[in-house]
Amino acid sequence: MIPMALTLPRTLTTDLAGRAVTMDEAAFRHLYDRTARPLRAYLMRSCGDLALADDLLQEAYLRMLRSGFEGEDDDHRKNYLYRIATNLLRDHFRRKRPESDEVPERDESPGHDEAVHLRSDVGGAMAELAPRDRQMLWLAYVEGASHQEIAKALGLRSASIRSMLFRARQRLAKQLQARGLRPELEVS
Amino acid sequence: MTAKPCSHEEAVTAAARSGDWSPELKAHRDGCLTCAELTLVVAALAADAEELVAIHAPLPDPAPIWLRAQLASRERDYRRATSAIVWVQRAAVAVTLAVGLAFVPGLWNLVKGAFTSLDLSSPVADLPRAAGSPLLVIVVSMLVLGGLALWELTAAQEN
Ligand SMILES: [Zn+2]
Repeated sequence: MIPMALTLPRTLTTDLAGRAVTMDEAAFRHLYDRTARPLRAYLMRSCGDLALADDLLQEAYLRMLRSGFEGEDDDHRKNYLYRIATNLLRDHFRRKRPESDEVPERDESPGHDEAVHLRSDVGGAMAELAPRDRQMLWLAYVEGASHQEIAKALGLRSASIRSMLFRARQRLAKQLQARGLRPELEVS
Repeated sequence: MTAKPCSHEEAVTAAARSGDWSPELKAHRDGCLTCAELTLVVAALAADAEELVAIHAPLPDPAPIWLRAQLASRERDYRRATSAIVWVQRAAVAVTLAVGLAFVPGLWNLVKGAFTSLDLSSPVADLPRAAGSPLLVIVVSMLVLGGLALWELTAAQEN
């Protein structure tokens, strides 16, 4: 049974906000310590491979540093980081399916199922969804991103996020229910 | 029964994330398929995120990331600093080419004159008069220096 109404991992901190505008090594390490695990969780659940997630994670931070992006606060930096990570994921899926511009229906790379941690039913249910659905759901319900932020990260129109999210949620709920998890669960 | 978008979705999402349900919202959720599904999804993802965040696999070391970023930044600074030199080199190459092309006919005559007046049968060959021409000296020097600038430029770009 899913432990309902869990407190989400908080990737946002306010203590970076008061720091110097230019990111020095200490500020970078601080940001990394606060955001790397949740970001890796997002990457892992999206791409289904821990080694790849670690590669993309490093590339995302590197790109952020190289871009010279300072951000107004930790929240701003985190959003930027997730946007880079989402772009990297999109590049990854496009490289895998060069014949199509569309995000593939689902990731069926060798080792996908082994690598994704299917210890949880949720992992299995998410693995059945298209990468874009996974990213959208994660950004919305784990990271608490707004429709506008999701649209920006995924390169979609803000107006279409609501309905896309609704359909993605239905697909995930169906998969969860197929694994014996019901919405009628007592949740609080 | 089909789920349809519901106006309580935002409130239900917030409650599902925080665990803070008002009795009214809870009652609504229990009677609304959309909100019940939403609650299931939000809670399932939260549980999944918690599990993934807590996995024991160590994170990549941030030190090499920082180092690579620093190297890239230094390289960028270096490129910026040397870009003026590169432009001077490009200008030198362009001037050389322009001068070279402008003087090609005259230069050709000078070289031809120098070779025809060269007496190889003489035991001590006299330097042809044309070899002392200031124009020839200037043009040849420019071509040599221009060539060096071109070489330096291409070497710098390869690096
Ligand atoms: Zn509802």
